[in-house]
Amino acid sequence: MNGNDYIISANQVFKTYTTGRVHVQALRGIDLHVQKGEMVAIMGPSGCGKTTLLNCLSGLDSTDSGEIFVESMQLHQLPDDERSDYRAQRMGFIFQLYNLLPVLTSVENVEMPLLVSGVGSQEARQRSLEMLAQVGLADWAQHLPAELSGGQRQRVTIARALVNDPAIIWADEPTGDLDSESTQDIMDLLLSLNRENSQTFVLVTHSQEVGEMAHRIVRMRDGQVVDDGLGSVRRTGPMRP
Amino acid sequence: MQELFGLSMTLLMAILLAIFLGIMAVVGFLAWRHRIMLRLGLRNIPRRPAQTVLIVVGSMLSAVIITASFATGDTISSSIRNASVEGLGTVDEILTPARGAEDFRSAYIDSSRFDRLQQELAGFDDIDGMTPYISETAPTLNLRASLSEGQARIVAPDPDTLQGFGQFTLLSGQAYPLDSLPPGGVLVNEETVDDLDAQVGDTLRLFLQEGFVDLRVEGVVQNGGLAGVNPTILMPLGAAQSIYGKEGRINTIAISNRGGNVSGVDLSHDVATTLRIHFADPQVVEELKLLLSTPEILTLIEGQEAGLTGDQKEELGILRQELVRPEVSNELIRVISDEDVRSGVMDALADGGLTQAEDEADTLFRNLSEMNVFEAKRFFLDLSDQAASGVTALFILLGLFSVGVGVLLVFLIFVMLAAARRTEMGMARAVGAKRSHLVQMFIFEGTAYNLVSAALGVTVGLGVGYLIVAATNQILGGTSDEFEFAFTFELRSAIVAYCLGMIITFATVAVSAYRVSRMNIVEAVRGLPETVTATSEGTLSERLLGVVKAAVRPILFLFAAIKDLLGGRFLGTLRYLAGAAIWLLILPWLADVAVALVRFAWPYVLRGWLTIILGMLLILGGAGPWNQAAPFVIGATFVIIGAGLLLRHAIFRWSSLATLPGLLTLTGGGVLLIYGIAIGSLTDVLIGPVLIAIGAAMFLTGWSNSGNLRPEFIDRLAFTFIGILNLAWWVLPFDTLEPVIGTLDSDIEMFFVSGVAMVAAAVWSLMYNADLLLKALTFLTSGIGKLRPVLVIAVAYPMSAKFRTGLTLAMFGLVIFTLIVMSVLTDAFGNTLADTDSVTGHWDVEMQVNPSNPIHDIESSLADVTQLPPSTFDAVGGFVTAPVAARQADADSPRWKNFSIQAVDAAYLDATEYDLHLIAEGYGPTEEDVWQALRDNPNLAVVRYFAVGDSGQEEFGASSSSFRLEGVSIEDETISPIDVQVLETQTNTQVNYTVIGVLNLVADSEASMIVNKQSVDEALPFPVPVTTYRFRTAPEVDVKQTSRTLESSFLEHGAETVTLKEVIDEEVAVNNAFNNLLVGFMGMGLIVGVAALGVISLRAVVERRQHIGMLRALGYRQGMIQLSFLVEASFVSLLGVGIGVALGAILSFNLVEGFQDQIPGLKFSMPWLQIGIIIAIAYIFAMITTYLPARQAGRIHPAEALRYE
Repeated sequence: MNGNDYIISANQVFKTYTTGRVHVQALRGIDLHVQKGEMVAIMGPSGCGKTTLLNCLSGLDSTDSGEIFVESMQLHQLPDDERSDYRAQRMGFIFQLYNLLPVLTSVENVEMPLLVSGVGSQEARQRSLEMLAQVGLADWAQHLPAELSGGQRQRVTIARALVNDPAIIWADEPTGDLDSESTQDIMDLLLSLNRENSQTFVLVTHSQEVGEMAHRIVRMRDGQVVDDGLGSVRRTGPMRP
Repeated sequence: MQELFGLSMTLLMAILLAIFLGIMAVVGFLAWRHRIMLRLGLRNIPRRPAQTVLIVVGSMLSAVIITASFATGDTISSSIRNASVEGLGTVDEILTPARGAEDFRSAYIDSSRFDRLQQELAGFDDIDGMTPYISETAPTLNLRASLSEGQARIVAPDPDTLQGFGQFTLLSGQAYPLDSLPPGGVLVNEETVDDLDAQVGDTLRLFLQEGFVDLRVEGVVQNGGLAGVNPTILMPLGAAQSIYGKEGRINTIAISNRGGNVSGVDLSHDVATTLRIHFADPQVVEELKLLLSTPEILTLIEGQEAGLTGDQKEELGILRQELVRPEVSNELIRVISDEDVRSGVMDALADGGLTQAEDEADTLFRNLSEMNVFEAKRFFLDLSDQAASGVTALFILLGLFSVGVGVLLVFLIFVMLAAARRTEMGMARAVGAKRSHLVQMFIFEGTAYNLVSAALGVTVGLGVGYLIVAATNQILGGTSDEFEFAFTFELRSAIVAYCLGMIITFATVAVSAYRVSRMNIVEAVRGLPETVTATSEGTLSERLLGVVKAAVRPILFLFAAIKDLLGGRFLGTLRYLAGAAIWLLILPWLADVAVALVRFAWPYVLRGWLTIILGMLLILGGAGPWNQAAPFVIGATFVIIGAGLLLRHAIFRWSSLATLPGLLTLTGGGVLLIYGIAIGSLTDVLIGPVLIAIGAAMFLTGWSNSGNLRPEFIDRLAFTFIGILNLAWWVLPFDTLEPVIGTLDSDIEMFFVSGVAMVAAAVWSLMYNADLLLKALTFLTSGIGKLRPVLVIAVAYPMSAKFRTGLTLAMFGLVIFTLIVMSVLTDAFGNTLADTDSVTGHWDVEMQVNPSNPIHDIESSLADVTQLPPSTFDAVGGFVTAPVAARQADADSPRWKNFSIQAVDAAYLDATEYDLHLIAEGYGPTEEDVWQALRDNPNLAVVRYFAVGDSGQEEFGASSSSFRLEGVSIEDETISPIDVQVLETQTNTQVNYTVIGVLNLVADSEASMIVNKQSVDEALPFPVPVTTYRFRTAPEVDVKQTSRTLESSFLEHGAETVTLKEVIDEEVAVNNAFNNLLVGFMGMGLIVGVAALGVISLRAVVERRQHIGMLRALGYRQGMIQLSFLVEASFVSLLGVGIGVALGAILSFNLVEGFQDQIPGLKFSMPWLQIGIIIAIAYIFAMITTYLPARQAGRIHPAEALRYE
């Protein structure tokens, strides 16, 4: 098996954090492979390395050893600027705390990845408005994040993650800060987007309910994958055409 | 330096030191009581070294400015002091005959008068030396070196009376007794060596009215004392008497007081009084006694006494007693000779309206003494103090803007520090810390910064002061090589500067600490954004009770003390007793009551109606009894603010009123436009449409939103209304309302008030409409491609943090505003001298000759100079200037005051081309008509611009004893002829003149009044020589060469020539250099703006860490993050600079327009080069300070940042 067969492929990834005199081995030889169009949920107890894995896979964080291929490229070998460009064009991010810029309106937040990718401002605005309409926030385009509810803010984050039509969407606890009704709404939205656009989703979640909506659940403990879920792949959506 | 703003420096130091020590004692006590808060406060200091450095540097500015001002003052004071002490040496007073001049130069008395004086003062201990001498000037030529000096001093004391004056000391250190000079031998001072290269054995030729005399240099003595500091030739009295044909006569007496060169001054007043008594004419005292001893005048003097204190009061009392005695007592002579008594009596007569008696008394007092007693050393020492206080006050005033923005910065820093520690402070509050504990925590931290920053400020201030002094010496180096300022600084000034800097910063910290302590605990703990919640204003009865409690606070303290005493809580008892004691010092009590009153009234101020009433009162006061511009314009601002607040309140209740702010703005614009067209004011015509457009926009948005009025929208409407109308009000030209309210008085304070008000209004309007700016920028940058995401966040962040951005904008705006106004005005006023002909009256060369050897007929003398053919000159005129006394015939006070005349000859009147500011009715319409009238009628006169009463202060040192014309204003279109009486004091000759014109401001007339010399020649009993000639050269003639030829041709007359254009160019250069120095000094405020940006950027990196991580995840490169910070700093600094430049240009334009009537040739223009330099410096430093935080931001690792909370 090599990086060419999967959109994401991690082999023997190690990562250690050092804070002062304390060394924490966050990832201990992770092997993980994700197919294009798949929605994978990474689950596990707090501190098991889920977010670290997501950060390493997406190229936001470095690894100590091991290989990670994303779309057949080893992101960690790219210079920082090229890695940034790659993220801007091919990846989308959804965070638990939304991480919207409080000083920009919804539509301005959404159009940011497009502007970074060099899309013209008129086109960027147009596409952002369409994306906001797709996530059901057409009427809230000119509002600041502080004026939106938690669910609405997460929809803006989703719109921002998807607006540049990325190949992979990374979501770190996308429903962690939401009530159950909003959680269901957001997951329905993510599933429908996954179905319609065949994009790959990698979710980190605590919630069993959310995990079960994904195609497969990867379980981690103490920095290791204890179950890659391949034995019980559910097909709630069209994983591959 | 002894005084500042009229306050003794020692007293100032004592007060400030007491306040400083008081603060430290209170802070120390609190720190001891709450050690945990002390630790919490202080531990923050080493945590962020870069931030600590920025805070210390930012807060030191007040101390820097105050120290630099003091250092400059101290240097001036000590330099002038040292120069006068060195120059005068042992000489303390100089006596000259008060009358009896036999010729134009000076009056002589018989030597026997000195002998008598010596006998009579034999027992008077305060004097240890007294010498009679001849003091003259003479054109002098060193035959060997062929160098000449037109005004060499001849000093010839009596060698037998030089005890007490020290000895003339040769450069070798050896004494040279004057009486050991051989016949025809003289001593010269060091200065003569410099000027004439005089060496022992040289022959000096002195040119006299009749021929010349050659003298041999026998020795070179050190400067100082009788040897003076100007080129001086010393010889025994007898030698000079025979040279000048004044056998047995003298013209000056020098007095040396007991004590050293400096300490002798302390006796100066006593010695002068004794001498004045001695020289008082008993006959005149008798006449004064007769005049003043009427019951009416005695009552007036008694009334005068009531308003006085100290010696002057006591002496006036003695005068009254002595006046009623039958005989003229010695005591009467003593008090009547006292100058303080004299001024008290004259004031009493003036206040009583006894014009006739005042006139007679003035004349008698003038004639009281046979000798003038000049307290020379005291005069110069006082002058040094005055100059030092004046310069220090000027620097402090100019530095006030910087001190103000420094205060803003300290406030901003602490607000931001509070923001950084909000969560931990919220936690502290949640677990039981009181609000006062938080205040203390900040005060401990702030005090630590202050103690260091004030010390650093004093050190840096000394450096700045040194640079100012060095620059001043550099500037003056071109004009004078004799005098140099030596940098000095007194410990007292350092203490005052340190305490003042520390107190200002401490007060700001205390206020900021109080503000930040008033946070919402839940919001702080949860890290939620600060909501604008209306603080509880309390009920009417609560607020009223607050006032009553404040009014009886000491009694409440006493009750509490008794209660604690009964309860056995002795510490509490002591605390309350101490409180009562402090409140009984009155000032704290008054402050307490004032705060309670403000709290009581505050809700009504916020609702607008009380603000309007306060504003109306100020308007009425300003336009009415006070006749002051500042309260009037500030009142109008209050009314606008009140109206805005009232509207806001009304719209909250009735949403249909949302269109009203727009309508009012629109109407205001319309009125202004129509008014502007009616009176032809360009500014009004320009501002009107702007207001109409903004008003219309406000009206439309108000109308379209009236169904859905959110509180922020109402605030925006109301505050935009306040900001825009205030801005429009302050940028109106000063004379806009003149037709309605007349001219109001204003001074330099209006510059500060306008600056603060304009910048505040502009920033206010901008920050409440920041989104519009953001939209405009978004639109403008839509085509920039990859830069756009950088620009979007670089502008969005500062525009969303309104408070800190507003404060930073205000800082930049204020400093740049002052610099622009200074630069524009300097340039405009400098340019008024560009037209050299209007300054000089179209003369090219000036030649001064020595009055002791004047040129009798300039025309024939010129004809003898072969190098100057008749075609060289188009015109030649001459004049002489003389100090006189003057009074206005129809003025309220008949008192004679100091004045000077320039008596010009007919040729001068024929050719002069000075422009006139005012021409009297019937003597115009042209300048030529006026000069012709002066030529035809020798009793007509023209005064210079500053002789008019309301023309402002001409120069430093001009006092109330100088004569000014009354009943005429420089703002008049024309004047009626004014009769002025002029008194030549030596001969008591009175000449009456009629003033028929006022010269232009720029005219370089050398005295206060130009008259026809014929009038002086006819009136005085001796011939009056021409001492100055002016030449107008023909076109194509080399002016400089002509000037040199004139000087060498008239060497024996002591000729010294200058080309007037060079003089003016030099003056302009010196003025410009000084103004640049002042601009540089004021520019120090930029440090604050730059430091503010640095602090904000450092803080932003911390605050936005997570956002930065997210942006990096979205694909922002490191460089883009870094660039966004730099662009943000650029945006804020350039916006601030833009506000400053625009408002500074408008105010300068208004000022120039306002002065144009009075100063012809004054034109508004922007000195773009200088402004460009100012902007570049501000911008470059802002970028340097922001670079470090920007780099930090760029290096933030995205995964870490996203994990960070």
